Amino acid sequence: MTDSRETAAPPVAREHRLDDGVREALDQLLDDDPADLYENAPCGYLSMLADGTIVKVNRTLCSWLGMPAERVLRTRLRDLLSLGGQVFHDAHLTPLLRMQGAAREVALDVVRADGSLLPCLVNAVEVRDAHERPLIVRATLFEASARRRYELDLLAAQRAAEASEVRSRTLQRFVSDLAAAVATEDAAQVVVHRSRQAVRATGAALWLVAVDAARPDVTEPAAVLTASEKVPAALLEALDQTSPGRVDLVLSSGVRTVPVTERLGEAWPALAAAAAEARVTDLVVVPVTADGAHLGALLLTLGDELDGDLISLAEPTAHRSLATADVDLLCTLGRQAGQALERARLHEETARQAERSGFLLDAARMLARATGVTESVERLAEMVVPRLADLCVLDLIGEHGLARVVARHGDPARQRFVDALRAWAPPHRDLPAPARTALAEGRTRWFTTIDEAQLAAMARGAEEVAAARALELVSLVAVPLIAEGRTLGVMTLAVDRRRRPFTSADVELAEQLGLQVALMMAKAQRYELEARTSHTLQATLLPPPPPPVPGVTVAVRYLAATSGVEIGGDFYDVAPLPGGHVAIAVGDVVGHDITAAATMGQLRSVYRALLVEAPAPAAVIDRLQASWPLLGLQRMATALFATLDLPSGVLHVASAGHPPPLLVAEGRAGFLPVVPSRMLGAPPAPAVEWRGVVPPGATLVLFTDGLVESRTSDIDAGLERLRAAADRAAANGPDELCDRLLADLAGTHRADDIALLALTRDP
Amino acid sequence: MSTVTEVSVRARNDVRVSGTPGARPMVFAHGYGCDQAMWRYVAPGFEADHQVVTFDHVGFGNSDLSAHDPQRHGSLRGYAADVVDVLTELDLTDVVFVGHSVSAMIGVLAHAMAPERIGAMVMVGPSARYVDDDEDGYVGGFTRAQLRELLESLDANHLAWSTLIAPEVMGNPDRPELAAELTASFCRTDPDVARRFARISFLSDNRADLAGVDVPTLVLQCSEDVIAPVTAGRYVHEHVAGSTFVQLAATGHCPHLSAPEETSAAIRAWL
Repeated sequence: MTDSRETAAPPVAREHRLDDGVREALDQLLDDDPADLYENAPCGYLSMLADGTIVKVNRTLCSWLGMPAERVLRTRLRDLLSLGGQVFHDAHLTPLLRMQGAAREVALDVVRADGSLLPCLVNAVEVRDAHERPLIVRATLFEASARRRYELDLLAAQRAAEASEVRSRTLQRFVSDLAAAVATEDAAQVVVHRSRQAVRATGAALWLVAVDAARPDVTEPAAVLTASEKVPAALLEALDQTSPGRVDLVLSSGVRTVPVTERLGEAWPALAAAAAEARVTDLVVVPVTADGAHLGALLLTLGDELDGDLISLAEPTAHRSLATADVDLLCTLGRQAGQALERARLHEETARQAERSGFLLDAARMLARATGVTESVERLAEMVVPRLADLCVLDLIGEHGLARVVARHGDPARQRFVDALRAWAPPHRDLPAPARTALAEGRTRWFTTIDEAQLAAMARGAEEVAAARALELVSLVAVPLIAEGRTLGVMTLAVDRRRRPFTSADVELAEQLGLQVALMMAKAQRYELEARTSHTLQATLLPPPPPPVPGVTVAVRYLAATSGVEIGGDFYDVAPLPGGHVAIAVGDVVGHDITAAATMGQLRSVYRALLVEAPAPAAVIDRLQASWPLLGLQRMATALFATLDLPSGVLHVASAGHPPPLLVAEGRAGFLPVVPSRMLGAPPAPAVEWRGVVPPGATLVLFTDGLVESRTSDIDAGLERLRAAADRAAANGPDELCDRLLADLAGTHRADDIALLALTRDP
Repeated sequence: MSTVTEVSVRARNDVRVSGTPGARPMVFAHGYGCDQAMWRYVAPGFEADHQVVTFDHVGFGNSDLSAHDPQRHGSLRGYAADVVDVLTELDLTDVVFVGHSVSAMIGVLAHAMAPERIGAMVMVGPSARYVDDDEDGYVGGFTRAQLRELLESLDANHLAWSTLIAPEVMGNPDRPELAAELTASFCRTDPDVARRFARISFLSDNRADLAGVDVPTLVLQCSEDVIAPVTAGRYVHEHVAGSTFVQLAATGHCPHLSAPEETSAAIRAWL
């Protein structure tokens, strides 16, 4: 860039001692200088009109071009340029000359006569007339081959540096995105999305091996498609059917590129066809590993290179090979992905464990509250779907053999398929194979996958296969329900393809659930047995309705306590005696369980036996007291015994620790002042007998303490409530009186049994 | 977009308004290769009876380079959104949008985003797709291979820019005349932005967007335009309903510089 200064200070002006001959030759040369300098200058010169037509060109440029001047003249500079040069000439150089009259160091490639390119740097000026109209453009062209090579090297180095920076940014973003992903699905999505971006793949998909270390023996591990991006469904399916679905490929090491060629078509025709259909030219498989363990495989599809919504410049069918740096990057991404996925799995496993514990606790609470087996298992099924499974079936062994008690699907839209399977279920038919085996062998059957062959083996007919297929079941577990050494049924759980297959932890949960259900069933069955026994006992022990006794009208009521067995230790008894007498008794054995009921039964029998001798009420107490140890009765009891002389209404009453009888006469109620002696079973003491008269039309009310006892007040208050209630009753006959007293005094929740006897002397 | 203030939109795109206030607005958008200075021989001629607006796309001329967002400006839609910002900020309606080269398509996209703003379009040397499409026989003028070569050779000039001039300015703070020269020179572009802009200009396919143009449109076709050949201009004309096609005698890709009188006359005659 110092040429201008050189010409401004002629070297000949300096004092040099030169030979005369040399000086002459030099002067000659310098005289010819302008023309020679133009024609043979060390750069190309040309002049163009405003429309670009070349009107002058120097010899140097002509020789560079390999064209005679005549051929160059009347062409245009742009016609001598490569395509890129033409575009830059039109879009940049020409505007620059028009606007600022000059352009410097524009890089253009000139096409030589032989077609080869000559890289040049072009400087140009526009010469204008007085009105600023363009007259001519003068341009100099400098050969710039070496410089262009240097620039290209520089460009390549810059691109490599940029690419390296992009890779390092990619890796950074990949790692930070993965760190933010908690769930496996999220991490998988990051892996697929970022690695696809990293190598500008058309699509990406991730298969993870569903390994269950706890139960490796059950079925072979399967690779499950966990995430995908922009891979057409048909290609995904073809891939699922072929290599990536198989373990061997996952276990292969290193990044592998598989070109979609005829050779691939020979091995995997469906895959090759789907890949070609999706315009995929190459498949890249990246192992996903963590600490040397193979977790799965990342698959990238290469094809028409995508660049946002810009047109790809790659030829549509050209195979793409990944740069070594990209392969290395993918290796690193695979390892990073593996570690993140492992971490996500651990995290999820912990969360799932907590969820399982919560689930078991909920189930235990629910089962503890439940009373009936059917209700319990129905509510259990509501818990199991959808929390644990999509389908829950319970086949239970009952009195009449095996029955399908519950078959519930989490998706209401699919419930009809489950209902359709009812026809194939017990008691109509035997169980499907997994449940049948689980029941027969008393061990859990677990299927991590269900393929067509297994489905065919499990099902008992085409209809069942069709229904099972519609349910899209992918994994199944059948748990036998065993408690106290007895097999009580089988629980079958299944998931469809929208959920991941059962893991060993799921199976363990199902087994624990099964145990809870079995224990609940065993308990319920015991309870049911007890209830049935007590019903039978009660039917035997409860006194029959009192016989009609001339001269009196009798009404009786017996109300069992509302909790526990439906029988207690209360009793009443009405027995006509010879000589116009009637014997009446009300008693209460302590407790209200089977033992109390049994004691009451014995007591009543002994009492009846005593009645043969028609003893006075006090004598009944004395004899019972005396024989109590001999009878071997385990509980104490209170009782009220009375005899009524029917013609006269004379009443004899004796009490063994029992509340006093109530007499209702002429609308007024009052307790008879019977002095109670000790309870039956307590150390004996002589009984005191009360004697009085029941007037015609009056009603004698005998009761047990269940009628007057309450948790909130003492017995005296209870007695007063009873008296007041009887006062108000104004009942027409003993039946009505009993009803009114019970309505007033017996609550809906009774801690104790109630026996009530009302006897009205005919007026 | 809506968060951009008036000041920043004007500064961002170095928006310049001249001419007759209240008259029908004409907005001139420069294409690939230069900046708003390209309109210096054409735009002033419309000032007498139009409100004339010129601006620089982000990354070009005096635009605010810091506003360049690789995401937003990674497609022509981002540049179109910038245009909509400018029209909205100046509250212009019934605009005559004059777009050169790729800005013709930016105008098409801007019209789709804000149809109420643009009332007419002048497309100077438009092409809806530069790459030939083997599948439907479309001729854009470039094969894929040619376009690859083109982008490579454009890179050489962008590199020259960044490696020769930028370090000189950066490394010589004591020589402000270098910076001054750079600022005074026309068509200055950030080399990186220019490279990306070249990519999105030449690799976009806006053929499907043409159907959305429902305003009067003038297609100005140059002769011997290596960038936008007649087939490309014809295609635009045929796919914009009711458009007018005018073949200019001017050669090259920049008739507004090489033949400003002819270009102005064609626009005026059509208006």
